[in-house]
Amino acid sequence: MMKTIFIISGNTWKMAFENKATIALTVILGLALGLATFIGWQNFNTQHNQRLKYKEIVRQKWLSKPDKHPHRMAHYGYLVFRDKHELSFFDFGMESFAGVSIFLEAHKQNTVNFSEAGFSNGMLRFGELSVAMVLQLLVPLLIFFLGYNTISAEREAGTLKILLCQGVKWSQLLFGKVLGIISVSFTLFIPVILLTIVLWAALSNWQVSVDSGMRLLLLIAAYTLYFIICAGIAVLVSAFHQSSKAALTSLLVLWVFFTLVLPRVTQAIGAKIYPSPAKIEFNAAIEADLQKEGDSHNPDDPHYAQFKADVLKKYKVDDVTKLPFNYGGYLMAEGERISAGIYNRHQKQLNQTFENQNSFAVAASYLNPFLAIKNLSMALTASDFKTYADFQDQAEAYRYQLAQRMNQLQMDNISNEKPGEKEKAASISHAHWAEQPDFQYHFKPVSWVIANQPGTILSILFWFAGILIILAISSKWIKTV
Amino acid sequence: MIKSIYQLEFKIFFSNKAARFGILILLISGFCSLYLGKQFIAKQKTVIEKAGKMQQEHTDKNVKYFGKDLGLLLYYNKFAMANIPDNWAAFANGQRDINPYLISVTMLGLEGQMYDTDLNNPSTLLMGNMDLAFVMIFLFPLVIIAFTYNVLSAEQESGIWGLIRSQSTLPMRIIWRKLTVRIIVVFAVFLILMISAAIYLSLAPDLRFILVSALISLYLIFWFSLSFWVISLGKSSSFNAVCLIAFWVALNIVSPAVLNVWLTQKYPVPEALENVVKQREGYHEKWDLDKSVTMDKFYKHYPQFKQYAFPEELTFSWYWYYAMQQMGDDDAAFSATRITEKLNQRQHFTHMTTLLLPGIETQSGLNQLAGSDLQAHTGFLQKLKAYHEKVRLFFYPLIFKEAKAENINWKQFRIEHYTDRKSEQVWQNLLSLIIFSIVPALSGIYNFKKRASLL
Repeated sequence: MMKTIFIISGNTWKMAFENKATIALTVILGLALGLATFIGWQNFNTQHNQRLKYKEIVRQKWLSKPDKHPHRMAHYGYLVFRDKHELSFFDFGMESFAGVSIFLEAHKQNTVNFSEAGFSNGMLRFGELSVAMVLQLLVPLLIFFLGYNTISAEREAGTLKILLCQGVKWSQLLFGKVLGIISVSFTLFIPVILLTIVLWAALSNWQVSVDSGMRLLLLIAAYTLYFIICAGIAVLVSAFHQSSKAALTSLLVLWVFFTLVLPRVTQAIGAKIYPSPAKIEFNAAIEADLQKEGDSHNPDDPHYAQFKADVLKKYKVDDVTKLPFNYGGYLMAEGERISAGIYNRHQKQLNQTFENQNSFAVAASYLNPFLAIKNLSMALTASDFKTYADFQDQAEAYRYQLAQRMNQLQMDNISNEKPGEKEKAASISHAHWAEQPDFQYHFKPVSWVIANQPGTILSILFWFAGILIILAISSKWIKTV
Repeated sequence: MIKSIYQLEFKIFFSNKAARFGILILLISGFCSLYLGKQFIAKQKTVIEKAGKMQQEHTDKNVKYFGKDLGLLLYYNKFAMANIPDNWAAFANGQRDINPYLISVTMLGLEGQMYDTDLNNPSTLLMGNMDLAFVMIFLFPLVIIAFTYNVLSAEQESGIWGLIRSQSTLPMRIIWRKLTVRIIVVFAVFLILMISAAIYLSLAPDLRFILVSALISLYLIFWFSLSFWVISLGKSSSFNAVCLIAFWVALNIVSPAVLNVWLTQKYPVPEALENVVKQREGYHEKWDLDKSVTMDKFYKHYPQFKQYAFPEELTFSWYWYYAMQQMGDDDAAFSATRITEKLNQRQHFTHMTTLLLPGIETQSGLNQLAGSDLQAHTGFLQKLKAYHEKVRLFFYPLIFKEAKAENINWKQFRIEHYTDRKSEQVWQNLLSLIIFSIVPALSGIYNFKKRASLL
């Protein structure tokens, strides 16, 4: 039983490499993969080092600030940079479309700026050359070229009847062909995996983490399933078509539809059904909420009037200058608490909208294996939307903590007596600046990735199981002649 | 006679299920993309309109709250500028999803504000927009390939070719006839979509319309020409199909991807991060320096403001504050210029390399004409700089004189519009596309002539 499958796959493999076009295509793809790996590695190094350099500069400048009022430091703020995961050299995901740096300051949340796409003049829209791009887009194309005539050519040549007469079962034939194609594509895939492992280890300075190791293993497993799915599609399409030519046309239409049209259309539909606000609308909504809860800019605001009365009552004093702490800092801590709460609520809502838009692409994965592998690959290489949103969350948490630390310093160390118009401004020792730790982004563990991608993971398994089942039972519908 | 032969050819062509299917795909995706492209731009127009109203309301509120303190009022008050989308932007969305089309700035340091992005879903940016330009650049060639790859080989493979050759002295004429039918059909679909676009997107029938049509026509002819050349090699249908698809993948997917990475490596923009650091330091360090350091530099930049007395004895004054803000921009001026230079270098690199790739060539030509490319955006940023300077120069003396907010005519600061469009490079694109369409066709004719003499 298994022997027959292996004989068929062995023949398919041999036949494939007898064809000059296959060899040429394989060599070209191999070169593209090599180039993509090199480029990904270079790109990672350039970007990573650039961000590291500025991260160090920012830290050093922060520490070197002289004595000053803590609120000045809250406004001086902190510039943080998005970290690249060492596996992102494999799949750029949305790296180029997501901003790189964000300026964190008191009372204000800024956007993540300076994405590579912002400096691009349109070429980026045609796609980016990464290992993932070659594996997701071009290897399936090779698989389709290898597989379009596997069955139909036998049928055209009349050998199909002979094979079946000799006692070969349909399922053996189909699985044998699939296995043969996969083994051809693996002559490409295995060297790439090995190279990836070496580069990944090099990029982690030979100190690989268990977590990245797990991510990489899952990545290899996912791509293996993806190639099997593609090979299965190719063989099935070939089996269901009378002529090789028609099979090739169908496969090419599928390829274009899967990789080019469907991703754009699903994303466009998602954005249409769940419209996201423009920045100006987003900010206006936050401002409206702020005014409802208390507008610190409005001198006659009832919330802050009540707030002041409460604190005076609590400390049994008749004027804020008699409080045992700096009232300005206390007031600002309250303002920061309110505004950050409102901002976070809106930001969460916005991210939910984005997630809803993206959910169409997840749902479409059940129709389109390309989207399934694309989403899973990005998630495993930490170049997906969820990781980006997580970076924003961690940066905002850092910003809030920084602002509140400065407010606390002001409460504890700044006198309630305001210096006169012509006197020296109040300040505290610069020794306090070092108390503020540097921003460190922590990548979420692989278990978080898995927990957050149930739809995507299921869709790959769904495709894999579906293809195996159809291969096993399709003989009922396939015509021999 | 000739008329009836063509009628027959059309009949044969349309009897093919794949042919009807191909036309249907182009029409459906064309209309869908028209709808999506227009929706995308319509949303931007709505936001710009809203922003205009909101700016007025904000200014009124700021005057009410902070009217007594003009320096403080201007700390909060925003001035917006919008890059108004052209009707053609719905045809070719270009970079309009990535680059902000509405930038609101205060009078503070501009360099810290002008690069702020809009709120975008990066997944949507990654997948890209669906506009008519996409359909024409990616899908039309595929249908052309599907229509033409077996024009000769199918006849050869079915054994009819020998018969045809024995009856006609000029087999090339038969190929021509078959190709003409396909060219006419594809261009009819193209025409239908262009007319629909003209009506649906209200595009004026002017020079730009002609240029866009010419660009796309040449691009489509290039694909026919390439197909013709592949056919002329006289190989099997499968070879032709694989070969043409390989061309399509290489020209429209792999080469641009390689070039783009090359470009990013060759012209990285670390200046962007440099710029943020410089601007931030340039302003903040002044708090800890002697006021004269800031003011001397400020007077050097703007000698005309020396006439206003500077309240040196005060710990804080708006005069000093805005001068400090200005220093942030001045200190970042070098890196800001470098960013612009880098972007221009990138632009130049793209122009030169796209001359070799018809797909990007057409895309960049369309984006240029639609004002949705990087150049349009950098132009927008330059205009924003000039506008910001104008606002600064208007308000600086008023702040220094401690003028009253109610005496200022705030109505003159409505949302600013940017509409300048440049498209000088389009002629280059046209010329290179003409060469692209001619060369394969000529070498195809040469192949046929050579083979005819051999046979």
